[in-house]
Amino acid sequence: MAAPQDLADLIARVALGDRQAFRRLYDATAPSLLGVALRILRDRGRAEDVIQEAFVGVWHRAGSYRAAASAPMTWLTAVVRNRALDALRSDARHDVDPLVDDEDETMDVEDDRPDPLGLLTQAADTLAIRACLETIDGSQRQCLALAYYHGLTHAEMAAHLGSPIGSVKGWLRRGLEKLRRCLERAK
Amino acid sequence: MNYDRPGLLDRLAAEYVFGTMTGPVRRRFERLRLTVPSAEAAAVAWESRSAGLALAVPPAMPSPGLWNAIDWSTGGAGAETVAKPGAWWTWIAPVAGLVFGVVATVGVVRMLPSAAVPVDEIVQARGTLPASYVGILTDASGAAVAIASSTRHGRTMSLKVLKPIEAPPGKLLQLWALPKDGEPFPLGVVPREGKAAFEMADTSERLLAGVPRLAVSVESAPVGPGSTPDGFILTGHCVKLW
Repeated sequence: MAAPQDLADLIARVALGDRQAFRRLYDATAPSLLGVALRILRDRGRAEDVIQEAFVGVWHRAGSYRAAASAPMTWLTAVVRNRALDALRSDARHDVDPLVDDEDETMDVEDDRPDPLGLLTQAADTLAIRACLETIDGSQRQCLALAYYHGLTHAEMAAHLGSPIGSVKGWLRRGLEKLRRCLERAK
Repeated sequence: MNYDRPGLLDRLAAEYVFGTMTGPVRRRFERLRLTVPSAEAAAVAWESRSAGLALAVPPAMPSPGLWNAIDWSTGGAGAETVAKPGAWWTWIAPVAGLVFGVVATVGVVRMLPSAAVPVDEIVQARGTLPASYVGILTDASGAAVAIASSTRHGRTMSLKVLKPIEAPPGKLLQLWALPKDGEPFPLGVVPREGKAAFEMADTSERLLAGVPRLAVSVESAPVGPGSTPDGFILTGHCVKLW
């Protein structure tokens, strides 16, 4: 992965229409960003569509990137996550509501992605906040991981965990408060 | 809603960034980001705070054609292509970047009613019922390149190529179904130009009900069941229209 300053420079050059810089930015970041989109959407074609839309957006709006507000990878990850989540919600709108149609099926849909809780733990190790993460209650941690890595809504999480939606909302809210403290320690 | 309530914007921003909001709520918050500076600041703060969580996600190598599609969509016209000589897609650059279409089929039908008409004409000329499943294979600029259509209970897939598809001599264009769950499976062969039709292994209702996308690859010979495509030069959404 390129250093943040290099990426910021590339984005600045992309804003000036530098195609070579655009290609270098793509080479440096597309694999990580595709990983993020693939985690949420599960389908390579749709994930690549999201990456395409995101980079076309970056080409046209690189000038709106503010290095002072976000690190380059933070900005790019947010662009991709938001597009992936929009695509996921858009698909859900067209599908028959699985929660109404067949409650059991929602639980049984095969998911070959690695356990999101494992990813959260791994991220905590990388950020050296593992001890802090482990002070967060297990259900709360599970909700944080399902939300961040798989983009599940409250209702989907409730179905996935077999718990009332009210409990899920509470777990997530308390989990986010605690995670905020952990993440701020990581800085 | 009173967004001045202490902590409310921060909580909404966290839920937005973590992805738990439903579509309409996400859009509402996005509007808020544009109009309320403290909402934008809260969202950016959560994006920064949580960015490290993405570090654990394993990277995935994009398909070779993805850069070409991006390059084309941004007016690069393949100028920066760094294909190694002999790579399968080097010859595709002159074909106006016929890769990974991004415009949803329904959108194309709405935007280009003239593109949808020929589908009807095909099936009417054939004396069959109106098309039921329609797939529009688009290029990177969103223009429809080919239309595949089939009646719901029929086995005939009709194809109309709207602008000629170039491929090396001796190669053919293979149409694939990309199921929502499962591996791509071959449907038949697409002509390089004009109209054609082929018989499918089963009715489109049985074959395509769980297929949200179609794609075209370049092959040396027609492929059988169980084959895997090398790479796609065209893709598009497949929808049940009638």
